[in-house]
Amino acid sequence: MLEVAVQAQTSAAQTAPVQSDQKVIEVQGLCRYFGSVKALDNADFSISKGEFVAIMGPSGSGKTTLLNILSCLDSPTAGQYYLDGVEVSQLEEQKRAVIRREKIGLVFQQFHLIPYLSAVENVMLAQHYHSVPDKAEALQMLETIGLGDRATHLPSQLSGGEQQRVCIARALINDCAIILADEPTGNLDEENERLVISLLKELNAQGRTIAMVTHNPELGMVADRIIKVRYGHIESEGLDDA
Amino acid sequence: MFLTIISESFKQNMRRKLLAIITVGLAAALVTTLLSLVVGVGDKMAGEMKSYGSNIRVVPRSDTINLNVGGVEYNPLEGRDYLEEDQLSTIKEIFWSNNIVGITPFLKVPVFLEGATSHQSNAPYKLNFIGTYFDHVIPIEADASYRSGAKITHKYWRIKGAWPLDDKTDQVLIGEALARAIKANIGDKLALIIDNPSLSSAEKQKNAATLVTVSGIVSTGEAEDDAIIGSLAMAQQLSGLQGKVQSISVSALTIPENELSMKALKDEDSLSPKEYDTWYCSAFVSAIVHQIEEAMPNASAKAVWQVTSGEGAVIQKLQTLLLVITCAAFISASLGISSLMNTTIMERAKEIGLLKALGASNWKVYSIFWSEALIIGAVGGLLGLLLGAGMAYEVGRMAFSSPLILEPIILPLVVVLSILTALIGVILPTRAIASLQPVEVLYGR
Ligand SMILES: Nc1ncnc2c1ncn2[C@@H]1O[C@H](COP(=O)(O)OP(=O)(O)OP(=O)(O)O)[C@@H](O)[C@H]1O
Ligand SMILES: [Mg+2]
Repeated sequence: MLEVAVQAQTSAAQTAPVQSDQKVIEVQGLCRYFGSVKALDNADFSISKGEFVAIMGPSGSGKTTLLNILSCLDSPTAGQYYLDGVEVSQLEEQKRAVIRREKIGLVFQQFHLIPYLSAVENVMLAQHYHSVPDKAEALQMLETIGLGDRATHLPSQLSGGEQQRVCIARALINDCAIILADEPTGNLDEENERLVISLLKELNAQGRTIAMVTHNPELGMVADRIIKVRYGHIESEGLDDA
Repeated sequence: MFLTIISESFKQNMRRKLLAIITVGLAAALVTTLLSLVVGVGDKMAGEMKSYGSNIRVVPRSDTINLNVGGVEYNPLEGRDYLEEDQLSTIKEIFWSNNIVGITPFLKVPVFLEGATSHQSNAPYKLNFIGTYFDHVIPIEADASYRSGAKITHKYWRIKGAWPLDDKTDQVLIGEALARAIKANIGDKLALIIDNPSLSSAEKQKNAATLVTVSGIVSTGEAEDDAIIGSLAMAQQLSGLQGKVQSISVSALTIPENELSMKALKDEDSLSPKEYDTWYCSAFVSAIVHQIEEAMPNASAKAVWQVTSGEGAVIQKLQTLLLVITCAAFISASLGISSLMNTTIMERAKEIGLLKALGASNWKVYSIFWSEALIIGAVGGLLGLLLGAGMAYEVGRMAFSSPLILEPIILPLVVVLSILTALIGVILPTRAIASLQPVEVLYGR
């Protein structure tokens, strides 16, 4: 397969990705209309367990809309979304909240950290709504992403890259199998971008399924596969060097 | 974690949270005062009303035989049968003697006022002279110097001037209406002539007038306003009814009636011996009435029910009114909290959206605001309690001339009500949380 070739180009490729044919995410005829705007139109694709997928496409093509549906933040106007084989698109809000905290780690382009909570507290927040906060575990997670010494700092005292890493730590703390990231490096310089990507790569190597929206073709190259979106349509589901 | 979120919320919105606390606090203060009044008004007003008139009226037995002739109540013996003045002490010697607060005899004598004429005709001015005790010794076995009289049983009489002295038998009070009609004033001397229909006008003329001195003007709102109130001795002398009294007012401390006393009231014979003993040994007004009749076989005693039931109704209406105001205070406080919380929730929409995106269930997000309400309610309630206690103290002093002391039950009641108020206040705003879509707030759409 082509993915293998891409992985060979990356440093993280040494660790063989745990992939299987088991489909973690599968959408069929997915549509999301905002009034007359067809942000997503009849999208079909699937993501297998352990895959690292990049979602790419021009601005306004519907990437964020797609990711929001995948992360159960939004419901499609039509179509099916199977998460771990279960149709979840029309679940009521409280059930989707359960899925969000149990299965999905979210990484936002805008970080969305709570300004008055320290780095470690922001991580613990996810623990709090998942089960119980465990400070030691949260500190360990910050250590892992290289922010062990900034744990008590407020988001305003951290750089953009550091904030993004806190956001990733928060997405990881509950050990979710799926990580959905919307332009995780959109606000970062190259240095920090590389840091974040290698982090994601590592997580993927540990067996997590990752879908990442990006504009950066180089980052697309890092992924196993690229899902190309244009005008709400899925244009191709394979590797693209665009 | 949770605490950090809450304490941060207080730090960030200090002004608004203070406003919310003040809102609850003021309502709680008002409610503390009102509840103290509701509780206190029963006791204080009952006490105050107790001083209004006697609960029991004792009259000669024959007086109670009422004939009804053509719709007019007519008692052929009225005014002809009397009680003995020296029987007064027996009332104070019954089983419940300690509950007898006062005993006042009355003797009503029709008189003419010399030198004054009525408006309608040139006939002499006719009025009642009511003889009574003001503060007179009634020697009883246990206490030879026991004193009683209208000063004790009729505290509600408002006197301008001074009460007559019992040993100066020519001193009188003049009814307010009468004083106005004949333009009498304190210190004036009035000449009274007995109105005895059996005397011929020549004999009346011969009857020398009796001079009395006005020591004060009395207003009672009742028949006394048109009468002259003087000593019993003077009334007896005017009428020639030596040692006689017409009626006796007895003021007694009683406990509220219950089923047993009602049963006794209907028919004493229906009580079992044990019930009878229980009833007899309880300070029911009916038991005291019964004992007075036992002590004075020629007399009939009656509880003055109108006053008793009247005071109950007034107090109840007042309490209902106070409770309505209490509810209104809490409802408006709830509305105040509601709008303050609404603003807070709108301001923190992004944060709430994030929590929801992280998978926080609605109730976990609610619990942040419920906890805030809990704190606001508790702090506001306690502050209000302090303020309200002070207010109740002052109101009590002004209205009842004795401070209202908080009943212990009011403390937890006000705090719980304050917390409930704050909680009710956040119910509506938190509903907005449920409908808040994380995508919309996070992406600013
Ligand atoms: N809530 C909404 N209401 C109306 N239109 C919307 C809404 N959300 C998205 N759209 C529209 O849907 C289309 C797709 O938006 P989306 O945010 O998914 O684009 P995107 O691919 O993420 O773009 P970008 O790369 O700029 O982030 C756009 O035309 C956008 O204006
Ligand atoms: Mg986008």
